[in-house]
Amino acid sequence: MKWTPGQPLALKSENFILRSMRPSDLNERYQSWFKDPEVMEFFSADTNQSVEQMHRFLKTFDNKYRYNLGIFPKESGNMIGYFYLYPEFHRRVGRTAVLIGERDYWGKGVVIETRSVVFDFLFEALGMEKIWAWVDKRNIPAIFNYKAQGFQKEGLLRGHGIGRDGKRTDQYVFGLMRDEWRAQKAEKSE
Amino acid sequence: MNDSAIEARILLAGALELDPADVADDAAMGTVETWDSLAHMRLILAIEAALGRELDPDALFEIASLGDVAALLESANNDSAES
Repeated sequence: MKWTPGQPLALKSENFILRSMRPSDLNERYQSWFKDPEVMEFFSADTNQSVEQMHRFLKTFDNKYRYNLGIFPKESGNMIGYFYLYPEFHRRVGRTAVLIGERDYWGKGVVIETRSVVFDFLFEALGMEKIWAWVDKRNIPAIFNYKAQGFQKEGLLRGHGIGRDGKRTDQYVFGLMRDEWRAQKAEKSE
Repeated sequence: MNDSAIEARILLAGALELDPADVADDAAMGTVETWDSLAHMRLILAIEAALGRELDPDALFEIASLGDVAALLESANNDSAES
């Protein structure tokens, strides 16, 4: 792929474009996701942050060590969610997180389709050898998606998160090795 | 077919929004098109409602087929019969 680290990144899946978010993407629609308790139920983010704080946070993504990729359906071009990618080059381990803010796109396989190209990018373009993530133990759709993409449950972090009700919550750690991902893709292409 | 198998088929059909008769004996994640993340959440919540308790976290990860649901319900029924 033609891309220079540090420059905005764009990836494509069958139905979506993933690209580095821009200040103009922090629009009212995006801001509304942070006010939706159901959207943010399991997402570790400050739901009370100001628009200025959102802009400052976006600037921390350098498209080298930290990526914030918006998810845009090709059919509409309106952002429906986003990924965070955190590759650690010295260990060749990357972490991802994803949020689908637009409820109309829940249960439509968006995460599995788009995360597949994210995995290809992390494994093949950035040279990661493992991808991991954590997920609240009651985030059933996310657990389904990790399982569907071949992740293994590697552990349970007790009281590692804080729910929207302020109570501490347990979180799973999921992991996927590059060889496992490649084998999975090879099997599907047969 | 025992009671647990029948109940499992009804719960899974409800989650998948299918007629129970249309749920194949070997129905599983990856083989049923409508078994997506939201359907899986509906299934787990329906099982929990039927059992009257939250499932063990490991069970959320292990359930991947009609057979898994039936086995879980059978195990729960046996546990309650023994207690």
